[in-house]
Amino acid sequence: MKQQLSDALRASRADYTEIRLERSWSSTVALRGRRIEGAQTAFDCGGFVRCLNRGCGWGAATFTGFDDLSAMVARAHELSLAVRLEQPIRLAEIPLRQDDVREDLDGDARGIPLDQKVALLVGLNNEMLAVDRRIVETQAAYRDEVTEWWYGNSDGILLHELRPEITLSAVAVAREGDIIERGLESLGLRRGWLSVHGREGMFRQAAERAVDLLKAPRAPGGRYPVVLDPRLAGVFIHESIGHLSEADFLAENPAARTLMKLGRRVGPDDLNVGDDGSASGRRGTLPYDDEGTPTRNTTLIQNGVVVGRLHNRETAARAGEPPTGNARALSFRYPPIVRLTNTYIANGRGSFDDLIRDIKLGIYACDATGGRSHLEDFSLTSGYAHMIRNGKVAEMVKPVTLAGKLFETLERIERIGGDFRWNEMGGGCGKNGQVPLAVSEGAPHVRLSEILVGGDAR
Amino acid sequence: MIGALLARAIRMATVADASEKTDETVTLRFEGGRLKQVGWAQERGVNLRILAEGRLGVAGSTGDELEPLLEGALASARSGEPAELVLPAPAPLPSVITHYVGAASATVATLTDLGRGLADRLMLDDCQVNLTVERSLGIVRVANTRGIEAAYEVSGVSVWAQLVKVVDDQVIVIEDQLAGADLPELADLERMVSGIQRRLKWAGRTADAPDGRRPVCFSPRAAQSLLLPVQLACIGKTALQGSSPLANRLDQHRFDTAFSLVDDPLLNGRSGSRPMDDEGVPSRRFPLVEGGTVRGFIYDAETATRAGVTPTGHARRTTFGKPQPAYTNLVVGAGALDHSQLLALIDDGLLVDELHGVGHGNAISGAFAYPVALAYRVVNGEIVGRVNATQVAGNAYDLLDRIKGLGREVRWHGSHAAPHIVVDGVAVVGG
Repeated sequence: MKQQLSDALRASRADYTEIRLERSWSSTVALRGRRIEGAQTAFDCGGFVRCLNRGCGWGAATFTGFDDLSAMVARAHELSLAVRLEQPIRLAEIPLRQDDVREDLDGDARGIPLDQKVALLVGLNNEMLAVDRRIVETQAAYRDEVTEWWYGNSDGILLHELRPEITLSAVAVAREGDIIERGLESLGLRRGWLSVHGREGMFRQAAERAVDLLKAPRAPGGRYPVVLDPRLAGVFIHESIGHLSEADFLAENPAARTLMKLGRRVGPDDLNVGDDGSASGRRGTLPYDDEGTPTRNTTLIQNGVVVGRLHNRETAARAGEPPTGNARALSFRYPPIVRLTNTYIANGRGSFDDLIRDIKLGIYACDATGGRSHLEDFSLTSGYAHMIRNGKVAEMVKPVTLAGKLFETLERIERIGGDFRWNEMGGGCGKNGQVPLAVSEGAPHVRLSEILVGGDAR
Repeated sequence: MIGALLARAIRMATVADASEKTDETVTLRFEGGRLKQVGWAQERGVNLRILAEGRLGVAGSTGDELEPLLEGALASARSGEPAELVLPAPAPLPSVITHYVGAASATVATLTDLGRGLADRLMLDDCQVNLTVERSLGIVRVANTRGIEAAYEVSGVSVWAQLVKVVDDQVIVIEDQLAGADLPELADLERMVSGIQRRLKWAGRTADAPDGRRPVCFSPRAAQSLLLPVQLACIGKTALQGSSPLANRLDQHRFDTAFSLVDDPLLNGRSGSRPMDDEGVPSRRFPLVEGGTVRGFIYDAETATRAGVTPTGHARRTTFGKPQPAYTNLVVGAGALDHSQLLALIDDGLLVDELHGVGHGNAISGAFAYPVALAYRVVNGEIVGRVNATQVAGNAYDLLDRIKGLGREVRWHGSHAAPHIVVDGVAVVGG
C-alpha cells in the first residue's frame, strides 16, 4: 500500500498533494429489551486525496475502494485549478517523518468471534433488566473498530497506523403510569476487546438512574448557583472554549477573532484550559493528526487569560503560529478540519464538599446527555441533577438544560475543585457533518455563581 | 453485483435481499463569500441480509469481494435472534420524479455561478457569508430472492447559506437551506435571500424576553421541537417496544383538529422522494395524523412481520447495518393565516426562529426545554426585537393540542415541510 501511495504522489502534477487511505473492520451488536436487534460486521475501505496549486484553492476527491489512485489525484488536481483565490493558501511547516505506529490493540477485536461479543453484551444487558420491574425497555450496544491508516504527502511524509476503538452504551427506560424516564451510560476507549470486561456496574447504574428519575420532580426554571460534575464540566469546556478556540472559524472572521483575542481575560485566575491530543491513553489521542502533524498539549487559557488556539496547517500559517495537530477527519470520506481532541479544565483546589458548603439553594448538575455551542451561545443537557440545599446534596431532580452566553458564564466561575477526572464516555463530537468524532474531556467539579436553568416557568 | 450476490446467498439462506447504492457528489464550499474548496466524492456500498436457519444476518461492505460479505452475513445470522421475515413480492412501482436532467448536467462552473450569485446577493458590510452548494447523483438498486429486482436514479441539489454578524460580544447567526432533486428556481433563491435579510433586520434590535406561560409562534424550522416527539412516537418499532406514548392511540383523537402530518414519498423533486423503499416495497402517501387523529405507524419488513402488519414502505438502509424504519418527506398540513395574522395572535410572546439542541434529552416523552438560538419578542402582533439567553419549555403533545393558528404556506427544510405554528402556554424563561 505504501508503494501505491508513494507512486501516486510522485505522479501528481499539483504543487502539493496529500493522500489518506483507510481500511476498517468493525463489528456492532445491538440489543433492545431481551431481543438481539442485530449483530454484524462491516468492512469499509477508501481514500481521500487533496491537491493545492499556487493561486488556487483546495481540490479534493474521496472514494470507496483503492482502484485507481492516480485518476483520483488527477481529479483533485483539476478541481483545485477550478478555484481561484486572491489570497494564497499557505501551509505551516511540520516535521517530515516516516513512521509506523502500532497502538496497543489490547486484545485485537478482529480476532474475537461475533458470538462472544453478543454473549458479553447479553450479560451486561441482563444486569439492567434485573434492576427493577419498572425497567420496560433497555438498549445496549457494543461496537469495535480497527482502522488501518496510511498518510502521505508530496513534502515527504509517510505514516502508517493501526488505530483501535471500542464503545459500550447502555440506555434503560423506566415507566410508571404515564411517566417515562431514561438512564444513560456510555464508555468509549481507544483500546480493544480486553478493556470492556467487568463493566456490569455501569449498566446497573443506567437502570437505577432511570428508576430514580421516575419520582424526581422537575427543578423550577430560573437562575441558580450550579455545580457541574466533572463529566458535565468537561463537556461544558469542550462545547464552549474548546469550539471557540478552533482557528478555522476565527481565521475567517476578524470580528469573532476579537472575542478570543490572545491576552483577553475571560475567567478567574485559577481557570486553566487546554486540549491535549497526546494525552496518554485517552479516546481523542493519536500520534499524528490527519495532515501528518504530531499531536501535542496546547494551552488555551492560562490563569484566566486566552493564550492559544487550535490549528491545522493552513490556519497556523495564516496566524503565524505553530500547527497544533488538530486537523482531524472522521474518516476517508471527509476532509481534515480543525477539531478538538482531549479538552480539559485543569485542577483547581479543594474538595466537592468545599465547593457546595455555602450554597443555600442551588443545583448539582451531573453527567451530560447533550451539548451544543453556537459560537457564543451554548446549551448543555445533564443526565440527571440534584438540588443543593443548605450546603448539602438534596433530592434528585429531572435532567436540566443549562444555557447561556459563554463569556458571561466564564466570568461566573466561582470555584474550581481539585478532583480532576478524565471522562470515558462514548458518543462523540460533531462539526460540519462529521459526527461522531472520538474525543474526550476532563475536569474537576466547577461551581458557577449563576446560570439559567430551563424547566417550568416559575 | 447484487444479482450475483443473491445467487450465492440463496445457497445458504432461506431468503435474502440486498441493496446497492452508488453516489457521486460534488461539493463547493464558499467561505467569507468566496469559493474555497471543491470536493468530489464517489461512494459505492452493498448491504446484504439473509435469513438462515431461522435467524437474521446482515453484513455491509464498500469493498469488491463477495466472499467476506457472505461470510459476514452468515456469522451475523448465527449470532442473531430467531426471527421471521416476510420479504415483499414484486409489484408495480408508482411514478415519481427523483432525477432531473438539469441537476445531472450541471457542471462545476454552473454550481460555482449559482453559489457566487447567492454570495453576492447576501454580502453585506460586517457580515460573513458562508455557503455550501452540493449536487449529488446516484442509483439505488434493490433485489430479493422473491424476484424483486428494481432500480431508480436520483439527483439532488442543496444550497446552505449562513450569515454571521458579530456585535460586541454577541454573535448573530442566521442560516437557511434549500434542498431538492433539481437546481433551485430563481424565485426560491430570491425568497431565501429576502428571508435572511428580513431576519437580520429583526435581529438588529434587542428586547427583553417575556416570562411565564406565553403564546409562541414557531417557525417551520423551530417547529421541529414540537414535531420530533410525534415522529418518534409514530415509528412502529417504538410502538412495538411500548415506549411510544401514542402506541395504543391508533384512530384516537390526540391533537388539535388543525394538526395533520403526512409522510409523502411521491412528491416530485423533493429530497426524500422515491418510488420504492430500500426493501422494494412500493411507496405511497402515508398519513400519520389526520385532523388531530393518530392514523398510522411506519414499518419496515422486519418490524412489520413482528407487529403482524404489512410493511408501509419505510425501510431505509445504508451500506452498514440492517434496514431501519425511517421517514421520507414529512409534511405538516398548512393553515390559512399569513404572517401578520399569525403574529396578531400573540399579545406578548415570542416568534422562535431557531432553537439549540432539538432532540437532546428524552425527546419522545414530548417534554422539552430548549434554549433559543434566534427568537424575537412579539408585542401586540409586532416584532420588537431579538431576545437573548432565553429558553422555551413545554410538552409537545399538549402544545399540539392547543394550536392557535397555522401559516398558510409550508416551508421546506431538507425533507421536512411545515407552516409557522402558533401555540399557547409555552413556558418562557427569559434572561
